[in-house]
Amino acid sequence: MVQSESIFRLDGVTRRFGALTALDDITFEAPQNEYISLLGPSGAGKTSLLRVIAGFESPDVGRIHFLGRDITDLPAHKRGIGFVFQNFALFPHLTVFENIAFGLRNGIDDIADAQIGDRVREMVDLVGLSGLEDRVPDQISGGQKQRVALARTLVMQPKLVLLDEPLGALDANLRGRMQTELRQIRERLNVTFLHVTGSETEALAMGDTVAVLDRGRIIQSGTPEQIHDTPSSSDVALFLNRFNLFDGKLSADAFHGPFGPVPAANVCQNPTDIYAIRYDRTKAFRKGDTLPGPALPARFLASEYLGSSVISFFETADHKQVEVDHHLSFGDPDNYKVGEEYVLSWDPRHAIVFGQEAAA
Amino acid sequence: MSIAAPSTQRNTFTGWLLAPGVFWMILFLVAPIMMIVYVSFWTQTTFAINSTLTLDSWKNFFSSEAYVGALWTTLRLWLIVLALTFIIGYPAALFVGLLVKSKTVSTILLVLCVIPFWTSFLIRVLAWRPMLGKEGAINIILQKLGLIDSPIEVLLFSELSVIIGMTQIYVVFMVGPIAFMLGRIDRNIIEAARDLGAGFGRIFWKIIFPLSLPGVVVGAIFVSVMVLGEFATSGALSGRKVNLLGNIIVTQVGSLKWAMASVVGVILTILLGIVVAGFLRIVDLKSEL
Repeated sequence: MVQSESIFRLDGVTRRFGALTALDDITFEAPQNEYISLLGPSGAGKTSLLRVIAGFESPDVGRIHFLGRDITDLPAHKRGIGFVFQNFALFPHLTVFENIAFGLRNGIDDIADAQIGDRVREMVDLVGLSGLEDRVPDQISGGQKQRVALARTLVMQPKLVLLDEPLGALDANLRGRMQTELRQIRERLNVTFLHVTGSETEALAMGDTVAVLDRGRIIQSGTPEQIHDTPSSSDVALFLNRFNLFDGKLSADAFHGPFGPVPAANVCQNPTDIYAIRYDRTKAFRKGDTLPGPALPARFLASEYLGSSVISFFETADHKQVEVDHHLSFGDPDNYKVGEEYVLSWDPRHAIVFGQEAAA
Repeated sequence: MSIAAPSTQRNTFTGWLLAPGVFWMILFLVAPIMMIVYVSFWTQTTFAINSTLTLDSWKNFFSSEAYVGALWTTLRLWLIVLALTFIIGYPAALFVGLLVKSKTVSTILLVLCVIPFWTSFLIRVLAWRPMLGKEGAINIILQKLGLIDSPIEVLLFSELSVIIGMTQIYVVFMVGPIAFMLGRIDRNIIEAARDLGAGFGRIFWKIIFPLSLPGVVVGAIFVSVMVLGEFATSGALSGRKVNLLGNIIVTQVGSLKWAMASVVGVILTILLGIVVAGFLRIVDLKSEL
C-alpha cells in the first residue's frame, strides 16, 4: 500500500568506512513525482547516500526498495536509476549526441538506431542543446555540460534521478537559471528528482520536500516551510543559516541565556539547551529604547548590503557573533557606528526554544 | 610601428631561445643523417672507400638475399614483439592504472616494473641463457615435472628466444604510458556508464579503451623505435642465426664497410620515420596529452 505511493524507501540503511559511519541507520520514504532536496553540511553522508541508492556502493545493513521492489542486491546498471554527477562526468571522447545516446546504445535493451536518433533529438530539444550535437565536451560551457549530463540521464526515462550537487560547478548567475530549469524539466517528465546540496537556499528554493541530513542521519524532513519555520532541532536551525543560536540553561519554564531569563513556553526536544531566533526577527536598539523582549547588549562590527536587505553583524560580551537581517521594505536601515554598544532584542513569541526536557 | 617593435623584439628573443637547440640538432642530428645518406653513395672497395658517387651499395643491398632477408626479419620480429608487448602489457597496465584504487600502490607497482632496468642491458639479455638453454631452468623444470622427455632445443638460439628476450625487456615501455592514461580517467565517467546500463565489456570497449589509446600509441612508438634498431638481444640470444638490420650495421662497420652500413642506416631511418608517422596518425597526441 505504502509502496505504491513512494518512489523509494530506505530501511535502516547503514554504511561504514572503517571507523567512520557515513550512513547511520537511515529510514526514509520518498514521495513519488516530487522534487526532493537533501540538505546537509559537507561530510554529512550526502554523497554516500546517493551512491548507495544508485548502487555504486552497497549498504552494510538495511534494505533499499525502489518502486516497491527490493533492489539492495541489484547492480547499478540494472537499477534504472539516473545519476547526475557533480563534475558531470561526460565521456570526453564522444560528441554531445553520442554522450546522450550512450545509454540507449550500450544499455541492457536493444534499441533500433532510428529510435535512438529520435529520442536523443527530443532530449536535445528539451534541455536546449540544439546545434551543439556534434561538439565534444571540451568545446561547450559549464552550463551546457550540465544539460548534457542531465539529458544523458533523462533519455533513459528513469523514474528517479539522483543529482549530486548539480549546481555546485556553475557560476551564480547560471545557478539561478538552472534551478528554474531543473524544476520545469522535472515537472514535464513526471520523474522524481533527489537533489543533494550543501546550500540551504538552494534546498529550500527547489524542494517540494526537504530532508536534512546530519552525521549520517536524516534529522528532519518536510515541506520547505515546515523546515524553515519549525526546525525540529538546533542542528537543523544551524544548517538553515537563518537563526541566531544561544547556549544557555532551561529550567522549569524559563530559558537562562546571555540575555537573562526568558519565559519559554513551547520547548522542542534537543540534546542541548539552545535558544534560537531568526536573523530577520532580531532587531537592534539604542540604549534607552523600549524593547519588545529580552535585552542583549552587543557591539556593532560591520554590515553587508544584499540588495533587498542589510545584514548587520554584532558581537556580544562573550564574543559571540549575532546577525540582524533588516529587510529594506521595512524602511531604511539605521546607521550603526562601528565599535559602539547597542541592545539587541526580539519578540519572544518568535523564538524557538530547544531543551533536553521537552515541554516542561 | 610602436606595436610592431615589441613583436619584432619578442621574435628576436624567441630566436635566441631556440638557437642552442637548433644548433645542437643541426650539428648532431641533421648533419650526421645527411652525412650517412651521402656516404651510402660512396664507392667501396675491399680495403678503401672514396667519395666517387655510385649506386653500387644500394644495388648490392637489394640484390642480396641475406640483406633483404634481414629487412623482412626485422619487420616480422618488430610486429610480433609489438603485438606481444601490447597483449601482455595492456592487462598489466589496466591493473596498475585502473583497478588498483590507491595511487600509492599503483606508483609502487610501476616502480616494480622498472626494477629490471637497475641491471645492465647485457646482463638482462644474457640472464635468459641459463633460463632457456638446453640444460636451462625451464627445460629442467619441465623434465622434472615429466611434461617432456627430451629438452626443447628451440628455446634458445632461435627466433623464439630473441622474441622472448625483447618482449621481456620492452614490455614495460608499453605498460607505463598506458597505465598513465588509464590513471587519468575520471572514475565518475566509468560509474556514469554503469549507471546508464552498460556492462563491463561495453564500458571497456566504448570508454576505457578509446581513452587509453594515446597511451597505446606512445607505448607502441617507444617499443617500435627500440625494437627496429635492436642488435644486442638478437646477437646474444640467437647464436647469430637471426640477423636484424641492426646486426648488419654492426658487422659492416666492424669490417669497415662504411658505404653498406650507411645504406642500411638510411633504410632503418626511413622505416622508423614511416612507423612513427603512422602511429601519430592514429591519435592526435597534442590534444590528448
